[in-house]
Amino acid sequence: MTGLTHNALWVLASMLMLGTAAGLAGCFAYWKRQSLMSDALAHAALPGVVIGFAILGFKSLPVMLLGAAASALLGAWAVTAIRAHSRVKEDTAMGIILSVFFGLGIMLLTMVNRMPGGGQSGLNGFIFGQAAAMVRQDMRTMTAVAAVVLLVVLISFKEWKLYLFDPAFARGIGLSGRLMEAAYLTLLVVIIVIGIQAVGVILMAALLIIPAVSARYWTNAFGTMLALSALFGGGAGVAGTYVSTLGDGWPTGPFIVIAAAGIFLLSLVFGRRKGLFVKAMQRREQKRRLELRAVRRDALAEGEAMS
Amino acid sequence: MEPVLQVRGLHAAYRKNKVLDDVTFEVAPGTLTAIIGPNGAGKSTLLKTMLELHPRLAGEVRFFGTAYRNAKLKVGYVPQRGSVDWDFPTDALDVVLMGLYGRIGWLKRPGRRHRELALEALGKMGMEGFAKRQISELSGGQQQRVFLARALVQDADLYLLDEPLAGVDAATERAIMEMLRTLRAAGKTVMVVHHDLQTVEDYFDHVLMLNRTVIAHGPTTEIFTQDTIARTYGGWLRRKERVTG
Amino acid sequence: MFKQRISKSTGQAFALLAAMLMLVACGSGAGGGAEGGAGSAGADGSGADGAIRVVTTIAQIAEPLSVIGGDRVQVTSLMGPGVDPHLYQASQSDIRKLGSADIIFYSGLHLEANMLRAFEEIGKRRPVLAVGEAIAKDRLLTDATGAVDPHVWFDIDLWKEALGAAVEELKKLSPDDAELFEANKRDYFAKMDELKEEAVRKMASVPKERRVLVTAHDAFGYFGRMLDLEVVGLQGLSTEDEIGLSDIERTIDLLVERRVPAVFVESSINPKSIEAVIEGAKERGATVRLGGELFSDAMGGAGTVEGTYLGMFRHNVDTIFEALSGEG
Repeated sequence: MTGLTHNALWVLASMLMLGTAAGLAGCFAYWKRQSLMSDALAHAALPGVVIGFAILGFKSLPVMLLGAAASALLGAWAVTAIRAHSRVKEDTAMGIILSVFFGLGIMLLTMVNRMPGGGQSGLNGFIFGQAAAMVRQDMRTMTAVAAVVLLVVLISFKEWKLYLFDPAFARGIGLSGRLMEAAYLTLLVVIIVIGIQAVGVILMAALLIIPAVSARYWTNAFGTMLALSALFGGGAGVAGTYVSTLGDGWPTGPFIVIAAAGIFLLSLVFGRRKGLFVKAMQRREQKRRLELRAVRRDALAEGEAMS
Repeated sequence: MEPVLQVRGLHAAYRKNKVLDDVTFEVAPGTLTAIIGPNGAGKSTLLKTMLELHPRLAGEVRFFGTAYRNAKLKVGYVPQRGSVDWDFPTDALDVVLMGLYGRIGWLKRPGRRHRELALEALGKMGMEGFAKRQISELSGGQQQRVFLARALVQDADLYLLDEPLAGVDAATERAIMEMLRTLRAAGKTVMVVHHDLQTVEDYFDHVLMLNRTVIAHGPTTEIFTQDTIARTYGGWLRRKERVTG
Repeated sequence: MFKQRISKSTGQAFALLAAMLMLVACGSGAGGGAEGGAGSAGADGSGADGAIRVVTTIAQIAEPLSVIGGDRVQVTSLMGPGVDPHLYQASQSDIRKLGSADIIFYSGLHLEANMLRAFEEIGKRRPVLAVGEAIAKDRLLTDATGAVDPHVWFDIDLWKEALGAAVEELKKLSPDDAELFEANKRDYFAKMDELKEEAVRKMASVPKERRVLVTAHDAFGYFGRMLDLEVVGLQGLSTEDEIGLSDIERTIDLLVERRVPAVFVESSINPKSIEAVIEGAKERGATVRLGGELFSDAMGGAGTVEGTYLGMFRHNVDTIFEALSGEG
C-alpha cells in the first residue's frame, strides 16, 4: 500500500480498531436482540447534547459528548427497564425510547433556538463526525476502546456466554444479572458515543449490526462468531477506507458501509453454516442420494423379477 | 428428619393478579414430589419465587434450614425448556459446563476435570454422543436431557424441575423418570412441576396440589383422591369431562 | 411488589408520553423563531399603529430591513440568528406568524429547502417575495452539478439588489412611507458600499497566491468572487454531504503548494474535518493554523455586533484578512 497519505493511514488504523470493537460489541447486542440499539441511542443522545450546550452557552465538544453519553445511558437503562417490567418487546421498547428521548431533545432544541445568544446552529448534528476526518488522536482513542472491549470479552468469556444464553440460570448460580447488564450497557454506550463522534450515526449502526450478522452465517460456536465479527468489522473498515482513497471525491464513511454490506452478501451466499450456496449444494446432494436409492431399489426389483 | 424445604405463608403476584396465596408446606428429604394444578395455578411461579427469580410479597422460605443464598450450591434448578433461545451458538457439553461455572470460579477457564464431569453428566442422561452437537440441532427431548444433565452436574441435594416431561418423546420421559428415581435412591430430594394427571400415581410418591394456595400435600396414595383433584381443578376438570366423557 | 403493581400503568404512561412528545416534536419542528431586530416595536399582532408586519426567514434579510424600515415596520424572523436555514422546517407557530404577516420575504434559490410548500400555500393569501430570486440569473453562481449557490448575501452588490426588491414591495404596501424607506435605504446602501470598498482593499493587500479561503463547506462562493479570493470548500454546497480522504488530500495539496497560512471553521459546522486538514498539512511540513470562526449560514447572536448584517460581514472580512496576511 504505497502512496498512502498520513490522513489515510490514521483513518485506516482508526477504522481497523473501531471496526473490531464494534464487531465484538455488535455480537453481544445481536444476542440481546438489540442490534438497533446504536440507532436508538444515537437519537436518545440528543437531549444530553442540547443540555450540555445550554449549560455552557457555547459549543464544547467534550461537554456535549458527556451529555450525549449520559443521555444515551439513561435511554439504554430505560429500554432495559421497559423490558423487565412490561410485556413490551425489544424493538418496541427501543422505538419508544428513541421517539421519547428524541422528541424531548427536539423540544429542548426549540427552546434553545429561542435563546438570545447565538451559536445554536447545527446543534443536533454537531457531535456527529465523519470517517475521513479522523486524526492521530482518534487512532489512540480507538485502539484504547478496542483493547478494553477485547479485555472484557476475553476475561469473562464464559460469563458472557451464560448471561446471553440463560440469564435466569445465571442468576441462580450467583452471576449477578445486574452486573452483566451494567457492564454490557456501559460498553455499548461508550462504543456508540465514541463511534458516532468519530464517524457519524449511520456508519456506527452499520458496524454494530452487519459484521455480527455476517459472522452468524459461518459458525456455530459463540467464540468463533465473536472472532469473525471482529475480523469482518475491522476488515470492512480497512477495505472501505482504502477503496475510498482510489477515486476523487469518494466519501470514506459510505464506502466502509458498502464494504460491510459486501461482506454480508458474500456470507449470505457462501457462508458455511447457512449460506445459500451451501444450502443449494446440500439439497443437490440429498436429491442425488434419493435418486441413487430409487435406482438401487429398481435394480433390486428387476433382479428379483428376473430370478 | 429435618425438612429439606420449608415454605411458610408465601405470597406472590404476577402483574395485577395474585398467583400465590398464603402457600405453606414442608418437604421431607428423599421424596419425589409432583406439583400439580390447573393453568395459572402458580406452579412455575412457586419455583421461581422460592429461588428468588420472582419477587416475593410476603412469607418465608428455608432451604436446609437456612436462607436460599446460603444453600445455593445444594439446590439444582431445571427451568422450562422454552425459557432460553436454543438457537444460541453452543454445544451440549458447553451447556452442561455452565452448571459448573459456580465451582470453576469467575473469570477462570473450565479445566479438563470439569469437562470430564460434564461429559459424565451427559452420559447419565444418555447424551454423551451428542456432546459436541449444536443445541439448535437437538430435539425437544434431547434438549430437556441436556438441561437435566446441567442440573445433575451441580451435584445438588434438592432438585427443582419445571415441566421436564412437557413435549418430550416416550424414551426421554422414561430416561428422565429413571434418573429422578436414581436420585431419590441416593437420598436426594426432587420436586417436579408436572402437567399430566394420569401419570402422577405411577411416578411420584408425594404430591403437592396447588391452586394459588395449597389444596393438599402429602403421600400420593393418601391424598391424591377424586375429592382433592376436584377441589384443585375446580370447574376446569368438569368441563374437560363433559367434552371427553 | 411495588414494581409489579405499576408495571402495566408504567407501560401505558410511557406510551402516552411517547405519543405526546412525538406530536410536540412534529409540531415544533427543528427550530423556533426570534422576534425583532433593531426596528421592531410592540407585541406581535399589533400593527394597529400602522407598522407593516414583516415576516422573514433568515436574519440576513430581517436585520437590514428592520434598520431600513425603522419603526414603520415590525420585522419578525422565523429563524434565529444561530439557525441553519438548509434544514429548517416550519412549525405550527411559524405558519401562524406567516398567516398574520402583511408581507413575507424569504431568500429562495433553495436555501430554505424544506419550506417551499409553506410559501406556496401562504402565497395564495399574502404577498410573498423570494428576494434572492429578484437577482439577475446570470449573476448567480452554480456548482459543478448545476445547482445554484444560494448564499447570495455574501455579495454586497447582489444583496443590494435583493434588499432593494424587498424595499420596493414595502413601498407598495405603505406608499406614505415610501420616501422614508428610500432615504433609509440609501443610507444603508452607502454603508454597504463602504464595507465593500474596505473589504476589497484589505483583500487586495494579501499576496495573490495566498488569497485562498479554505472552509468546511462551500458557502463562500460569492464572497470569494467579490473579493477575488479563491474559495475551497471541503464538502459541497449542502451541509448534508460527507467528505472522502481524497477531498482532504486535495485541500492539503493546495495549502502546501500555495503556502496558505490559515484555514477557517464555521460556527454551524463541526470543525473536525478542518482540523484533520491542519494535522495532515503539518505532517507535510506546512504549518497551517486555524484562522478563526466565520459566519456562513448563521449570523451572530441577537444584540451583538455580529448579529447585524454589516457586523457579521465585517467580522468575516477581518478574520480572513488578519489570518491570511499575518505571518506567512
